[in-house]
Amino acid sequence: MKDREKVMENVATHEDWKSCFSEVAPGLLLFARQWTRSAADAEDIVQEAFVKFWRRNHNVDNRALLYATVRSIALDFIRRDRRRARREANVFAETESTIEPHFELEDETQSALAAAVDSLPHDQREVLVLKIWNELTFAEIASALGISQNTAASRYRYALAGLKKSLQPQ
Amino acid sequence: MSDFSELENELKKLRPARPSPVLFARVEEAMVNSESAKIIRPDRFRVNYAALGLGLAAAAVLLLLAKVNTDLRQGPSKSIVQNSPAPKTRSLLPAGRGIEGSRSSDKFIPAGATQVVYNTRDEGLQFTNRSEQPLRRLRYQTKETWRWRNPATGASLRVSYPSEEVVFIPVSGQ
Repeated sequence: MKDREKVMENVATHEDWKSCFSEVAPGLLLFARQWTRSAADAEDIVQEAFVKFWRRNHNVDNRALLYATVRSIALDFIRRDRRRARREANVFAETESTIEPHFELEDETQSALAAAVDSLPHDQREVLVLKIWNELTFAEIASALGISQNTAASRYRYALAGLKKSLQPQ
Repeated sequence: MSDFSELENELKKLRPARPSPVLFARVEEAMVNSESAKIIRPDRFRVNYAALGLGLAAAAVLLLLAKVNTDLRQGPSKSIVQNSPAPKTRSLLPAGRGIEGSRSSDKFIPAGATQVVYNTRDEGLQFTNRSEQPLRRLRYQTKETWRWRNPATGASLRVSYPSEEVVFIPVSGQ
């Protein structure tokens, strides 16, 4: 967390977007992947969001706004893509959809954990992603998602409880 | 929360997939070339403007109708005032029995207006060009109906038109 803050501070001073982007890109991509079928689509969203955010000279410490930008563009992407998705629905129905991995998996345990995360309800998963892999506070999560801090915290707890339950041996 | 600390540690060990090197190149290109980094605006906005235009056109028609009614009533009385000494003419006409009274059959009076919201959609957080904070975009689709009635003849006039309204509500940070 300290390192991240140091990077952000450095970025704010030197306007080095590359440092900032390499720091936040994996987390942003993971966040964007919740709304997309492919990593390529998620990268499109992250690119648009980051450039938009940076060009408007937002304070890079305002991470909630950065994630809200990603979310906003992702939702626009879904709406734009809806018509195309309907046309392709039959094709997808007939073929096995290949979901590209969201994580760099090292063993079976991590695979099981990643699968459990994927199976969480969407509203819980997005809070979990922002909290664990993007290190946002509940206040920042609440601001990014347009919910209260209490809701963010309770969704996080529900997500952890759900994961714990699904990972328990039957 | 302490019950979950072990699970949280396990989750933190999961590393998100790295972005492709192509992404860095694309972002760099977009940063350099501001035109290529243009924000994609959904086509829906154009449709919205069309609906807004339609609504404004309907409103303009209503205003014209209202003006025509007013002119019909006020036009002749104005000429009387201009062509004759005002004090004498006025003193000869009994109250409520002037030109307006004789043209009462032309008079349409507003009988009501309704606005029915038949669809509301929350379109999530948005950013306008100059906003410093996210805005929640709500879209309302409504049907507005204006009615006039002529009490003398019983005739009625009704104009209905669809309208679409997009409202941005600032989302305050916490």
